[in-house]
Amino acid sequence: MAQSSLDVLLKGSSGRNTRGLLRIIILLTIAAAAVASRLFSVIRFESIIHEFDPWFNFRATKYLVQNGFYSFWDWFDDRTWHPLGRVTGGTLYPGLMVTSGVIYHILSFLTIPVDIRNVCVLLAPGFSGLTALAMYLLTREMSHSPSAGLLAAAFMGITPGYISRSVAGSYDNEAIAIFLLVFTFFLWIKAVKNGSIMWGALTALFYGYMVSAWGGYVFITNLIPLHVFVLLCMGRYSSRLYISYTTWYALGTLGSMQIPFVGFLPIRNSDHMSALGVFGLIQLVAFAEFVRAYLPGKQFQKLLTSMVFLTFGLGLTGLILLSVTGVIAPWSGRFYSLWDTGYAKIHIPIIASVSEHQPTAWPAFFFDLNFLIWLFPAGVFMCFQNLKDEHVFVIIYAVLSSYFAGVMVRLMLTLTPIVCVAAALALSTILDSFLVMYKPTPESQAKANADKTAKSFSSTKNPVVGIYSYLSKGIVTGSLTIYLLMFVAHCTWVTSNAYSSPSVVLASRLPDGSQHIIDDYREAYYWLRQNTEDNAKIMSWWDYGYQIGGMADRPTLVDNNTWNNTHIATVGKAMSSREEVSYPILRQHDVDYVLVVFGGLLGYSGDDLNKFLWMVRIAEGIWPDEVKERDFFTARGEYRVDDEATPTMKNSLMYKMSYYNYNSLFPAGQAVDRVRGVRLPAESPKLDTLEEAFTSENWIIRIFKVKDLDNFGRDHSNAVAFDKGLKRKRATKKKGPRVLRTE
Amino acid sequence: MKLWTSLFWCFSIVSGVLAAQSSPDRWEKYEALARSGPVELDSSSFVELTQAPRDYYAVVLLTALDARFGCVMCREFDPEWDLMARSWNKGPKLDGLKVAFGTLDFNDGKAVFQKLMLQTAPVLLLFPPTIGPYAKLDAEPVRYDFTSPIGAEQLYAWIGRHLPEGPKPPLVRPFNYMRLISAITFLMGAITLFTVLSPYVLPIVQNRSLWAAVSLIAILLFTSGQMFNHIRKVPYVAGDGHGGISYFAGGFQNQFGMETQIIAAIYAVLSFATIALALKVPRMQDVNGQQLAVFIWGGVLFVTYSLLLSVFKTKNGGYPFYLPPF
Repeated sequence: MAQSSLDVLLKGSSGRNTRGLLRIIILLTIAAAAVASRLFSVIRFESIIHEFDPWFNFRATKYLVQNGFYSFWDWFDDRTWHPLGRVTGGTLYPGLMVTSGVIYHILSFLTIPVDIRNVCVLLAPGFSGLTALAMYLLTREMSHSPSAGLLAAAFMGITPGYISRSVAGSYDNEAIAIFLLVFTFFLWIKAVKNGSIMWGALTALFYGYMVSAWGGYVFITNLIPLHVFVLLCMGRYSSRLYISYTTWYALGTLGSMQIPFVGFLPIRNSDHMSALGVFGLIQLVAFAEFVRAYLPGKQFQKLLTSMVFLTFGLGLTGLILLSVTGVIAPWSGRFYSLWDTGYAKIHIPIIASVSEHQPTAWPAFFFDLNFLIWLFPAGVFMCFQNLKDEHVFVIIYAVLSSYFAGVMVRLMLTLTPIVCVAAALALSTILDSFLVMYKPTPESQAKANADKTAKSFSSTKNPVVGIYSYLSKGIVTGSLTIYLLMFVAHCTWVTSNAYSSPSVVLASRLPDGSQHIIDDYREAYYWLRQNTEDNAKIMSWWDYGYQIGGMADRPTLVDNNTWNNTHIATVGKAMSSREEVSYPILRQHDVDYVLVVFGGLLGYSGDDLNKFLWMVRIAEGIWPDEVKERDFFTARGEYRVDDEATPTMKNSLMYKMSYYNYNSLFPAGQAVDRVRGVRLPAESPKLDTLEEAFTSENWIIRIFKVKDLDNFGRDHSNAVAFDKGLKRKRATKKKGPRVLRTE
Repeated sequence: MKLWTSLFWCFSIVSGVLAAQSSPDRWEKYEALARSGPVELDSSSFVELTQAPRDYYAVVLLTALDARFGCVMCREFDPEWDLMARSWNKGPKLDGLKVAFGTLDFNDGKAVFQKLMLQTAPVLLLFPPTIGPYAKLDAEPVRYDFTSPIGAEQLYAWIGRHLPEGPKPPLVRPFNYMRLISAITFLMGAITLFTVLSPYVLPIVQNRSLWAAVSLIAILLFTSGQMFNHIRKVPYVAGDGHGGISYFAGGFQNQFGMETQIIAAIYAVLSFATIALALKVPRMQDVNGQQLAVFIWGGVLFVTYSLLLSVFKTKNGGYPFYLPPF
């Protein structure tokens, strides 16, 4: 009886409905799991914005919500890049801010009182739920088996490669961009399959949204044309392809040009030229196809050959002419450095200095993707089996993005979606054959032999038979279940240990196992907010610019936007020069306070002295005569901060500020720097032109006030010496051997 | 720094007194020698070129090109330096501004390296003139330190900063006609070859298995960190300090060349076992054969994955997960 009642549910049209309902429930559960696994940081700490860039996005969103869309569009921000300011409205990707602004307004329209900060903090987890759904849709297009889609959605929901950029509080462009990336690709596959203008236009619409949200849109701009190009090379031109590509290109390019920051780049920059080139190519191919229908073979051959040579010659000369005359800009530096991996190191130190732009070692791949990394090649292999148009897309995407992820850690993010698709394809193929009760019999074998079809691929020539014994099924499904459970455990462990720290608040464990929170950053920023004038200018290295702007609400000299290399080099020069050189620079830029990050007491390795060489390098790029990297290394080429540090090092402003009064914490002569593991000189460095204003609890942040000019017109070293009661030195009373005057 | 310059000074003054030749003569001698590139110097001619009364700038590169010293930067920089000197010597002769370019290899001038107390190579020294219109009161040589590989353009800018204002011969990178011709020849050869061989080549190019193999190998290489090796130039293997070899580098951010190959091989085995289970096994007709295949591939998968986890655990000490055998 129970059997038959179950049959009603599982068979026929009601069976279809049951499965559909189940699928929806599973997808919703996956989305909920995706959101929930990203909330570690909110539960452990609080609802807080993380890292660096998110603080700017948060500040911009607040501006948008307070002042409305149009003034946001025209926003000139005079509180950053002092004294230059920044045309913020025209130099950002507004997609993220507008999205959270819209959500905020909808919620307040529904009379749900919510703080804009909470919208921003929870935006990334919310969109990751949507990403899982988009992933389901994309994978559904690749495979007949519905389980592939569900698996892909589950993988995407919890894989650390994506969580790393989308935990709660990580309010960055990638938070919504990955959803848009996956969804745009889904729409594109749909458009190619159906050849419909509607899907093509939808692709263009979401492509436009993507352009407004993330600079990584260039990936789509190049991947879709490459897909089309490969299909053309394979001789798979069809009117479906023509319709979808031309629709996408025309509408998508127009859409992307609406973003002020992008503007005319799509027709002038080499990054976008492949899309234009393929657009031209597909017109020619379409024309050739059209003519072929009306002309006899021989004449058509002649026409085709001459046409190919003509267009090739014309196109090449045109491209060279435009490049030489400068109408088409060369490849942008960041994009170029992906291909020539040595380029950035020589020409753009500021790009090379960012840790996200380093190449990826293999443990990072395994850390971020766990067992998906070895299912990935298997899944790509399965795409070669029945190589349809959409499978070609998966293969191209897989090869390209694994190259990019190898070159740059941060591009792991674009690799993750395709890994999930391919791994789900592989795993669902196994599960679909091993997870059925049905047992093949000799009759079904014969039947299978009968409808053997000729396939081109060697490994799948034989027909599918099925699995005979329950033991085999048990072994395979059992071990796969273990791997899947380990995957979940791995993802949870990685998320909880590696990706959930806000980096504004540091957590450590006390000897008894309890958690100790180190909150120096916020302590210092709040000190600035409450104890300094509203427009006191703060100088710090660019890493902290966004945080100072967001948390302390004070104008900064440089920030993470890094649009002006010279200005950053100026700060680098001020930090790495002697006080006599730095003080005029500080005065010229109206600096009131200088902020440095010092990890020596706590052993916090991400401090400014460890970043110092980059400051020197960047400053050297602009003033090679005044700042020399070589002077900061000892004769034996070591970077030292102890007694043997070079005089240039010891006299640099950064060194002095970091170690000023540091030895007062220790018994005489015992001062130790715990990051670099060295004993420091017994005497504290002397600062004449700055005075210590604030030092946080664990000495991570130190703030120094720039002294005003001396009231009596003395220089600062004399004034300090006078205050200390030292006798003024007379130039004539020098000790030491007398020198013969030669002039 | 101070020590060696003063030492150098003693020695150059002494030699300057001893030398009978006057400065204009030496300049003419240099000009006669410098047909195109920089002049090859040895210890004595180095002294001669750089001794005290001189009315020209002398730019000398002290380098170690011999393969024994393994100075990569010396060899990388050599063609750039040659280009620099060549374009300066061939450029328009300007009144008064005389610059002599010389190269001193370690093999020819060990004495000079010792006298200047140089520990590293390459080093570039620029000697300003001591007499004549551009003479500098403080005629100490200026030293350029090579911290990272540089091109001729950067060096040109550096030298330009130390010369007086005014026109200077431009840096000309000769157009590489050989390369253009060889590229065109190669292209045409390739086209010809393709047209001739197309009946034989096309089936290969259109072979799906070939493309599958190429894509999979590429993916395996990239995901096992091959690009990291390429960019960071990591060693292939390293000793473990007890005479043995350590295959795996310590730490999460490091790796060796061989390590990545081992990892790529592990991934390949795991992927192949997966493919076998997914595609081959369900197509096997034989009942017992299938059972055996499941045992074998399932076992391979389990053991290899356990190996991978244990390798990862050595890289990342705190990693809590493992599978039984390893």
